[in-house]
Amino acid sequence: MTHPTHRTYQRSVERLVFWLFRLATYLVLAAATYIFLDIGIKGGRTVFTSTPPFINVPFLTEPPQTLYVFDFEGKKMTLGDREFRQWKTAHPGVEVEATSIAYSAGGIWPCIVGTALLVIGSMVLALGIGISSAIYLSEYSRNGPLIRLVRIAILNLAGVPSIVFGLFGFGLFVIFFGWNVSLIAGWFTLGLMVLPAIITASEESLRAVPQGLREGSLALGASKWQTIRKNVLPYALPGILTSSILGIARVAGETAPIMFTAAYAMKDEMPWQVAKFTDFFFQGVMALPYHIYVVSSKIPQNEYTERVQYGGAFVFLFLVMLIALTSIVLRERSRSRLSW
Amino acid sequence: MEGLADSRILIPARTKSRRTQAAIEQGIKAFFGGNALVAVIVLALITIFLFREGFGFFGQNLANLRLYRQAGLEYVDIIRATAAQHEALSRKLSEIRLRQVRVMEKRNAPLDEINAALASFDQFASAFSDTAENLHGLVSDLTEQASGLKERLFARAELLAQRSQLEQNGEHDAAAKIVLPEIDRKSAFDSLHQGAATFESVSAEMTAKLYNLLATAPPLPDPGGQKAFEQWKTQTREYLAGLPAASEKLRSWSPDTAIPWYRSISSFLFGREWVTASFWQDWYGIVPLLVGSVMVSLVALLIAVPLGVASAIYVSEVASRHEKRLIKPYIEFISAIPSVVLGFFGIAVVGQAVRAASQSSFFKWVSFFPISERLNIFTAGCLLALMAVPTIFTLAEDALRNVPRGFKEASYAMGANRLQTIARVIVPASLSGIVSAILLGLGRVIGETMVVLLCAGNRIAIPDFTQGLGTIFQPVHTMTGIIAQEMGEVVRGSTHYRALFMVGLVLFTITLGINYLAQKFVARFRMSIG
Amino acid sequence: MVTVLEMPEITSPITVNQPATAPIPEVERGIIEIESVDFAYGTNKVLHDISLNIPPRSVTAFIGPSGCGKTTLLRCLNRMNDLIDGAGITRGSIKIEGLDINAPHLDVVDLRRRVGMVFQKSNPFPKSIYDNVAYGLRIAGITKRTLIDEAVEKSLRSAALWDEVKDRLHVSGYGLSGGQQQRLCIARALAVEPEIVLMDEPCSALDPIATAKVEELIRQLKEQYTIVIVTHNMQQAGRCSDVTAFFYLGRLIEFDRTTKIFSNPAQRQTEEYITGRFG
Ligand SMILES: Nc1ncnc2c1ncn2[C@@H]1O[C@H](COP(=O)(O)OP(=O)(O)OP(=O)(O)O)[C@@H](O)[C@H]1O
Ligand SMILES: [Mg+2]
Repeated sequence: MTHPTHRTYQRSVERLVFWLFRLATYLVLAAATYIFLDIGIKGGRTVFTSTPPFINVPFLTEPPQTLYVFDFEGKKMTLGDREFRQWKTAHPGVEVEATSIAYSAGGIWPCIVGTALLVIGSMVLALGIGISSAIYLSEYSRNGPLIRLVRIAILNLAGVPSIVFGLFGFGLFVIFFGWNVSLIAGWFTLGLMVLPAIITASEESLRAVPQGLREGSLALGASKWQTIRKNVLPYALPGILTSSILGIARVAGETAPIMFTAAYAMKDEMPWQVAKFTDFFFQGVMALPYHIYVVSSKIPQNEYTERVQYGGAFVFLFLVMLIALTSIVLRERSRSRLSW
Repeated sequence: MEGLADSRILIPARTKSRRTQAAIEQGIKAFFGGNALVAVIVLALITIFLFREGFGFFGQNLANLRLYRQAGLEYVDIIRATAAQHEALSRKLSEIRLRQVRVMEKRNAPLDEINAALASFDQFASAFSDTAENLHGLVSDLTEQASGLKERLFARAELLAQRSQLEQNGEHDAAAKIVLPEIDRKSAFDSLHQGAATFESVSAEMTAKLYNLLATAPPLPDPGGQKAFEQWKTQTREYLAGLPAASEKLRSWSPDTAIPWYRSISSFLFGREWVTASFWQDWYGIVPLLVGSVMVSLVALLIAVPLGVASAIYVSEVASRHEKRLIKPYIEFISAIPSVVLGFFGIAVVGQAVRAASQSSFFKWVSFFPISERLNIFTAGCLLALMAVPTIFTLAEDALRNVPRGFKEASYAMGANRLQTIARVIVPASLSGIVSAILLGLGRVIGETMVVLLCAGNRIAIPDFTQGLGTIFQPVHTMTGIIAQEMGEVVRGSTHYRALFMVGLVLFTITLGINYLAQKFVARFRMSIG
Repeated sequence: MVTVLEMPEITSPITVNQPATAPIPEVERGIIEIESVDFAYGTNKVLHDISLNIPPRSVTAFIGPSGCGKTTLLRCLNRMNDLIDGAGITRGSIKIEGLDINAPHLDVVDLRRRVGMVFQKSNPFPKSIYDNVAYGLRIAGITKRTLIDEAVEKSLRSAALWDEVKDRLHVSGYGLSGGQQQRLCIARALAVEPEIVLMDEPCSALDPIATAKVEELIRQLKEQYTIVIVTHNMQQAGRCSDVTAFFYLGRLIEFDRTTKIFSNPAQRQTEEYITGRFG
């Protein structure tokens, strides 16, 4: 038998180590919480207002503008591009020395639109290819060298850095296909980037459908495709979509792949202001993550820029986290409910 | 049951459409199969396009290196190196002075007194830097000559390329119209070579002056400073002893010595300099970027591995069910934070905080504090750690959870407590799973772009490792960062453009290797838990 | 400690209610002709040289200890084993109505429509009862509502389930009891009017009353259908089958009229198994 004091010693060591583990865990949670709070509070000042409608509508619905800062009659004036020009016409003959700071006035509307377009297109693409591949892998494929190759490719593709996807998209779509910096190049780049995740998630959901349903259907004289369409996909689809939502968060959150395939730092027209229909696909767009990169690295950090920097980060973080939260909540729910 | 037989007509036998039906089925299958192949195709295309765009790099870089030699830039750089060494010695002198000042300040000596005490030293220092005046003059003369020659050679090469292009297109007349300017390389080199003679006289003069100067070196009041000063003196003597070697090199140097083809590869893989868009000479050495990426990833992992593994163990073995249900989704939630937001947070908050902390009196005892750059390896590493923790946590927790219950029960049955069971049974059983989690975390960190682009400081230089732990507070640039930063601005098809693709290729290879290792460990883990 | 597994004693005597005029398998030309079939799961050979002719419009019972390959053989008859990677017939042939079902150009879908199956583990679809039964018809391209309604009712009646579910045809099939689910699967198989029905232990989850209903059903069905049934219940085999095949360790030991097998088996192994003195 061990000595009693030795046992108490062991017990206190155990307690201490567990406390360290607990500390480590909560440190991570606290760090993340701090980020959420910092961006939430400082960005909230931009996005929310104290008067109705409580939301800073212009920030969400206007394009970015250059900010002009100058002293006039002892007052510090900060005006956006348009207002500054109006002010100038209202004060003819007044010479002011204004500092201009790019992007720091106005809002982020075109960025939101661009990101939405990028996400929708690339997810349609990724879901189309991803679900089809998963159907093949789970329903049709027999274990063979080719299928092994496909699986290896999927595994490895999942680990390829996003910037390499950016380079690839640049080399293939932008240059080789001559699509230039465009929505469609961004769609393909982002779509292919999330493809491995979508395939894996879809295959998992398909495999969760019990084999009995397939056999039962086939035994009734249904063809393979009829079986899949009527008796497998409908039950796998909720799972596929749920886990694909996380893919949306990833697509929306990535900057590196779109930096030189789809995103412009500044563009005056909205995406739908195109001369002809096909131009829509071949235009670059502004995107929220790229905008945040630009405003946090290309313009100085000061009291005038904090507004757009934190505001943009807040909106972006809010949107992405909302998507992620939806996915996590849906999955936790379906996990507890799903039973065959 | 009557009537059953009659109703057999209910479903008509499949007859004529059988063929088309089968064809449709086959078509659908082929469609899905084709989609499944997309993954393979994409992986192949990534490889192909990285190679396609990157491979021309070696040829172009070789031409670049050859021009460097032919135009005599290399020759000038030999002399420039001696001038740079002299400058470095000068800088060391001012460092010694700074230390002296600090020591005396600690003794609360007034500023006048300090200056007075160091007056003779200052005189010495300025005399020292004056000795290189002629050397610097020589360097700038030769620089002008060589870059002029380089420009002419370059223009000629361009014209040559244009002409051969025209001839290939069959436009011989137009090709014939292009006149290649005659470049009298011989005389150009003769005038360069005169530099060697000048260098010899300049260095002889400098050597004589310096030996005199060294003999009259003033003593320093502080023994520590004196010791550093003595060290400096030996370095200076070594420097002077090395000058004849430089002359020798100059004399034997010839612009026509061939540069072997592999130099273009080795100068990329082992080159310690990444200099682009320079008026003098571009260098594409990946080492500073690679070191930067590795340093940032190491710091990130040093933080993330203990946190990630500890929290995985905590959640899977210690935490209550309530905590588990909260912590697991929350950490997963963290993984969805967009990297650009983290990068912005790093610029806006963390960098500032790190610098402020380094300036606080609490850390006065740390030798390399206060730091000058708020964006550095450590800042980027901290933020990357937050990205790696969810990956490590999720996969490690998975591995821990999959350890068969029997292992644990056997351990408890022998009277082990929970900690012993964790340390002796659960962690060893899931070790390869945890290692693969860490590797995948590394893969994620080394391939991450936005955080390092925004927070690593973007200084293209190998950090100064002599600073010990202080190294991690220096700014670096990374492979991912350089691609993101420079890709948008380069000329398509230029050497620089191709060099960036080569960096991408290296990055791609590294991540594939890490992924491969991780899969190996996963396979081993599956085997070990049966 | 070694546990000896013993077959439970069969308490009641086996009643065989077949007329002595049942067809003799060796003589009749069967609707299903199995000829020296070997079957393997990958490298694991589980059926060895099986040959038997299953007579039309009769009930054939497969009996034998667990793991002897009854299900495997049954699934060969509608090529359900195609779904299992690496599994397949390595030798021999199976013909249905003279057609080799493993011929390369055979339409498997058509085969499976003609050879229906009820599985060992009931597997209703997560659809309403009505949709479960109508599934096969819809798959076959029948869209006329009245036809489907009629067929659904008829099949559910045949499977002795109609009275229990007629008021809740549109609730999920998952809401039924285990026995009801199995009968739903039988109804589903009957709805497409196959010529042959394969039943893999259809009564293993049923109570005695439901079992009796299903057995009654089987006896009626054989007027139009050929039925092959796998069962572990000797009384059941005796009560409702015309011919019986006894398998042991992947081999066909004896195949004869049920009356013969149960009263005067030719092989000692068969006798021991039937009387429960097996092992
Ligand atoms: N999918 C499969 N893959 C590999 N081996 C299998 C598979 N299914 C069955 N087997 C093996 O084939 C043999 C025959 O199995 P089968 O299911 O035909 O037995 P059975 O007679 O139906 O038994 P039971 O009465 O228990 O249902 C067994 O040894 C089994 O282990
Ligand atoms: Mg069976």
